[in-house]
Amino acid sequence: MTAIQPSVASRPGLSDLLTGFGQDAAGDGPVITLGVPVADLEAAVRRIAAYPGARLADVFASAGSPAGDGNSARDGSPAGDGSPVTLRLVWGLDADHRYLITESLVEGDSYPSLSAIAPAAFAEECEIYEQFGIRPAGGRPLNRVALPPGAGPDWPRLGRAPAEPPRDVHAPHHVGGHAFEFPFGPVRQVAVESLYYGLVTSGEELVDLYLFTWHKHRGVEWRMRGMAPGEALFYVERTEGLGAVGNSWAFAAAVEAALGLEPPQQAMAARAIALELERLYNHAAATAALCQSTGLVIGQAAAEIALERLLRVNAAVFGHRYLFGVVDIGGTRADLDAAALRSDLPGAYAELERAADALLTTNSFLDRLEATGILTEEAARRLGLVGPVARATGLAADTRADHPARPYGEFPLAVAVADTGDVLARFRVMLTEAAESVRLIGEIGRTAAGPGLALPPGAGPGQPASSGLGWAESSRGEALAWVALDGSGRITRARLRPAAVRNWRGFDDACRSQNVFTDIPIIEASFWLTVAGTAR
Amino acid sequence: MPLWTLRGLRRGVVTTRYPARPDASAQLLPTPPAFRPEVLTPDLADRLVAVCPSRALARDGDMLVFYVGACTACGRCRAEAPEAAGASGEFELATTAREHLIKRIPLAGRPT
Repeated sequence: MTAIQPSVASRPGLSDLLTGFGQDAAGDGPVITLGVPVADLEAAVRRIAAYPGARLADVFASAGSPAGDGNSARDGSPAGDGSPVTLRLVWGLDADHRYLITESLVEGDSYPSLSAIAPAAFAEECEIYEQFGIRPAGGRPLNRVALPPGAGPDWPRLGRAPAEPPRDVHAPHHVGGHAFEFPFGPVRQVAVESLYYGLVTSGEELVDLYLFTWHKHRGVEWRMRGMAPGEALFYVERTEGLGAVGNSWAFAAAVEAALGLEPPQQAMAARAIALELERLYNHAAATAALCQSTGLVIGQAAAEIALERLLRVNAAVFGHRYLFGVVDIGGTRADLDAAALRSDLPGAYAELERAADALLTTNSFLDRLEATGILTEEAARRLGLVGPVARATGLAADTRADHPARPYGEFPLAVAVADTGDVLARFRVMLTEAAESVRLIGEIGRTAAGPGLALPPGAGPGQPASSGLGWAESSRGEALAWVALDGSGRITRARLRPAAVRNWRGFDDACRSQNVFTDIPIIEASFWLTVAGTAR
Repeated sequence: MPLWTLRGLRRGVVTTRYPARPDASAQLLPTPPAFRPEVLTPDLADRLVAVCPSRALARDGDMLVFYVGACTACGRCRAEAPEAAGASGEFELATTAREHLIKRIPLAGRPT
């Protein structure tokens, strides 16, 4: 959540890892940054990937050198041919309560293939090729991610255009027999986000599935360049409306880390209450979606009554049903109505509990969830999945416990896990988390919680450029943000990585596991992702 | 399944024709601003235009042009100048013509 944390003791293993990179100590901060020459990147990735508990959380690039991140003349503006690109890998060292960032300057057109070692990096390799024109060595075909077919070199990009456009690669499947592709989307239903499914089927069983999300890409990261952080926060909140608090907390924490801001305690408590309220209404919405996908209309209505009541709690407590405008750079902006929280939340949550209790005794519902959309813990680790999707496979990863920010470190968290990895496991994890959120809100709500801001230092030509990483455990899992600011405090590069970015890459694996067409909406509801979160 | 049928019958109808009755929760919704022309000066109007992230505000000579259709009710203008902008309380914004959503507000305030 915020990157400003008290000192955390290093495990000996971490010291050994860092010594291998010529760094003697991990330092006190929760984020370790290492410079890795691109020639050594492959060996470095192998070494870090083999470190116990390390997971690749994000990969992104910036135009210019690492030292030039804050230089608006280089970074953040489209680079010409041959301009260097800085490649950053963000690793979660969860057992050590640290994040590790490696920075490598790529001066040519290629860099070592990361996905050959860490398969979860393939989506980002494609994205970096589209945005910066550099590609992993090996010549593997790269997919279109963000820009539509026909996007020429003059289209807005974060760097230079690739020498050749990415291929409209369908998933690299090889289907024998009578299988065929069934196109579905991007317009699927009324009021459902644009998403194109390429379904490969032999009739009913799903052989393969691939997704196109570029129909919805909005270029938010490109748009944020040159903005003041407070101005950009408006876009961050709206990048993924159902994750406004999680994403804006991660972004605000990144800016706060860059500027050395420490938000007041009551503001952090208010953020945490808002984040747990966001988790509650999202899990209620996922419950309603599960009922809809299984045709249980009355169950859907019951869950939606709970959802509506929870949204009204949000409005009563923070003044916005979807909790926009709560988080601000340096703290929180919105007033918090503690009396409304105490009086309205128990009834709204009891509504969800009643619906959930009934659902858990409805065999026709449970039969559709059980053994559907199975993901293994190995797949969750390999793909770097996060949130309830990962926890339902037995992976107890939760940034509230692994990278606790105020006030979470003061309130021990029971991380909800299950081990079957199916839709039912994801549903049970969500219900357990909802109960835990109510408990946390009660405990945090007994402390002082309300608006408050740490004021940023006066911006000016004398201010050094800076950068920072922020994170939050959104309802979908770990949300990350990284920002680089120039001397005037304006954004030169902002990277937003909502949890949906990670978890969509597990969706096709879950769909392929012995499922049929009609299981797909059920699996999608249990993932409860947004297209907006990934097509940002 | 009988459980769900009984549950539905016991709960009764929860949806109604709109608006069946005033809904207190509507008062909690963020709504577009209402501006007070008597305190709006050109300088103040320029400040409001500058803070509007969705470009719903523009200056046209001695008028503040407010395109309600672009307003997201984010509240930044109210925070910037609470003396000049308040919540309108109006969230039923549908009209039959786009131009009905464009308001031209005279800048009647006196520069200080």
